[in-house]
Amino acid sequence: MDINLIEFQFFLKLSEKLTAFTSFQLQGTGVAEAYYSTVKNVVGVTIFQELIDTFNKIQTDSDDETSLDKEIRHRILSNSKLGPVARNIIKMWFVGTWYQLPNYWLEKYGVSNSDSTFVVSENAYKEGLLWPTIGAHPMGAKAPGYGTWEDPPKIPTV
Amino acid sequence: MSNDHSKITYTIDHSTASQKVYDVVIVGSGISGSILANEIAKEGFSVLIVEAGPGKDLSLTGYEKLLNTFYTAVTKDNNAPYKSNPNAPMPRSPKVQKARLGHPNTDNYMVQNGPFVTDTSYSRVVGGTTMHWEAKTPRMLPEDFKMRTLFDKGLDWPITYRELQPYYRMAEKEIGVSGNVESQEFKHLDPITKEFSETSLYADNYVYPMHQMPPSYLDKCVAKDINGTTLELDGDKKELKVRSFPQGRNGIPNVEYRKYNNGEVYRPVAAVSSHQAEIGERCQGNNNCTPICPVQAKYDARKTLAKALRTGRVDLLPQTIASKVVVNPENGRVTSIEYKNYKDVNSSEYESGVLKGKIFILAANAIENARLMLASGLKSTSNLMGKNFMDHPYLLCWGLLPENTGTFRGTICTSGISDIRSGHFRRKQAAFAVDIHNDGWGWATGSPYTNLLDIVDNKNKYGTALRKELVSQVSRQLLLAFMVEMLPETSNKISVNPQYRDRLGNMRPVVSFHVPDYSMEGVAYGRELSKQLFQRLGAEDYSIYDPLDYGYVNYNGSGYAIRGGNHIAGTHIMGTSERNSVVNFKQRSWDYDNLFLIGAGSMPTIGTSNTTLTMAAMCFLSAEEVIKDLKKITSKTEIASPIYNSISG
Repeated sequence: MDINLIEFQFFLKLSEKLTAFTSFQLQGTGVAEAYYSTVKNVVGVTIFQELIDTFNKIQTDSDDETSLDKEIRHRILSNSKLGPVARNIIKMWFVGTWYQLPNYWLEKYGVSNSDSTFVVSENAYKEGLLWPTIGAHPMGAKAPGYGTWEDPPKIPTV
Repeated sequence: MSNDHSKITYTIDHSTASQKVYDVVIVGSGISGSILANEIAKEGFSVLIVEAGPGKDLSLTGYEKLLNTFYTAVTKDNNAPYKSNPNAPMPRSPKVQKARLGHPNTDNYMVQNGPFVTDTSYSRVVGGTTMHWEAKTPRMLPEDFKMRTLFDKGLDWPITYRELQPYYRMAEKEIGVSGNVESQEFKHLDPITKEFSETSLYADNYVYPMHQMPPSYLDKCVAKDINGTTLELDGDKKELKVRSFPQGRNGIPNVEYRKYNNGEVYRPVAAVSSHQAEIGERCQGNNNCTPICPVQAKYDARKTLAKALRTGRVDLLPQTIASKVVVNPENGRVTSIEYKNYKDVNSSEYESGVLKGKIFILAANAIENARLMLASGLKSTSNLMGKNFMDHPYLLCWGLLPENTGTFRGTICTSGISDIRSGHFRRKQAAFAVDIHNDGWGWATGSPYTNLLDIVDNKNKYGTALRKELVSQVSRQLLLAFMVEMLPETSNKISVNPQYRDRLGNMRPVVSFHVPDYSMEGVAYGRELSKQLFQRLGAEDYSIYDPLDYGYVNYNGSGYAIRGGNHIAGTHIMGTSERNSVVNFKQRSWDYDNLFLIGAGSMPTIGTSNTTLTMAAMCFLSAEEVIKDLKKITSKTEIASPIYNSISG
């Protein structure tokens, strides 16, 4: 995949907003492309494009963070078609799992048979953003070393 | 991590194995089977281990496949690293459903008659259930062996703590225990004087092979408020103290241990591999002891099995289910074991045959041993086969601490409260040990996944607010797990029913189970104690027990969700005669002289100790007996059986 694809760049921008991790950090996981492909495959190109376009318009329309937040809520998160997809993108970034979309969504918008709950890949599990968020590491990977658990946790501030 | 391409391959195919007469045939490659195989093979005897699970090799590459299966498993339960195998199915906790009155629950491998439905599980893979154990290794207490005499409850063992003590040491060496003897020196009863004892549980200034796992930051925060809590229980005054638990995982060797190791410092056993592997020497804090340690710092039975295989006298026959124990009715001796060898996990095709030996050892676990004996339709003079089934009921209590103590760091559990493991109160209610969990509310609520879903789907947060809320919900989590004693009752049992079979036609275990009032009295007391402790800690109590929970038990007007302990025991208890027990204290069957039933199934009581260490100690004792038998047989026949010549040393 060409990572300079404009659509992929917008996916990263949207992910930055949804996760509060920088594009640099998101790309550093090495699984950004896998997530991009997963969403596209499961929800289909049309809905994915609509999500990206909507976010793009919101960015252009918003003057500051407050209005951006409001527009994300009004036009994406509360939208019955786009909201569940956006929430799934958040969950995927945080734990590497694609969660099956809600039944009502599948009945109305579902296009793919591949929508089930699954872990995107071994690396997706290990790169879940939840773990660094809480100053920990994914259970069973990236171990911090003998005895490190004696010290207070180092939880990054946001 | 390095990869190896060579493999330890000591597996044998079933047609070759069935041509031989082994000195010993062992069913099960878990800790019991592996210890026995190793001890017996060291003495020059030949051993066949029959294993239901698949197991081509014991390589690092093979182990990494298990890890990857775990990483990509949606539900990370105890058996998540192991692929579903309909030919040797195993209980999976996420599949457990609430009992419907009058209907046995048949969906899962274990058929559950109720009334209590257990989510206890075990693994049918090479290495057995040590492939998912947490590796906590406390010894049982002297009073645990004398429950009937001291408390008029349960049963006495036909052996005392002091008699088992040397074998405990062997087990602690084999497993490689990291621990601190002082932390285990809480007040305990002397079974003779019936008063609290001043003598050490360990004797001779004993130390563990390795220093204790460092207590977690969470342990230390909890200890600040909990140490010094006083309570009175049935006349006994207690003062609580957070103490570290001994664990079967690699830490820093204790030089003092030389005295107990022929002058040598204990050398931790690294990852199982055919070549020098540079992993597995010391715990790195993966917080994943259950189910699988990525660096093999945690002991699992393959470490012992690998030694046994290297003797050159042990054959491993995987993908083979022991389906029947065959007895010669004339002399009451076991002549062979019938088996079903399947070609592939994905196919129900199998071939059957018989395996021959001089001595037979069932070491498949408490449920599978009983299942096999009952499915074989063999007489049991005591009529106790499968009865007195036990497992530690767990009560989970969870709260949020006032400060961030950090979750998901360190081993799953480093410390807990042991003071209520002993005392005169045991004539009225169950004793318990309390674990402080370093993995947050995971066991109780599915945290941190459930927190994430809640914050995104219900709290409607994203971005910075989501991250702050995650820290707030997860990093202050405290879970106390009360591991409660359970006593033997004949109505708690494993049975078989020809109506219920697995894909290969083997009868499945049928569990009839209720949590006795004695245990529930301990559960209720534990719950009240948890409230006191949360008060002292200034913690918010979030424990909630849903009446729709499959493990929900109502007791004296309050409800509790009980979890299984994976400490299955007691289905072929040991005793003093063929009328009151299935085996003697050496785990020899009373009914069949050349048959040993090995494992926690032989335990008449389980106290408040995770069963594996005691089970391992009992194996060393039994190994001596088996070897004695074999030496007798060999001296009678003068020449060793011809298979010695066919096995390279």
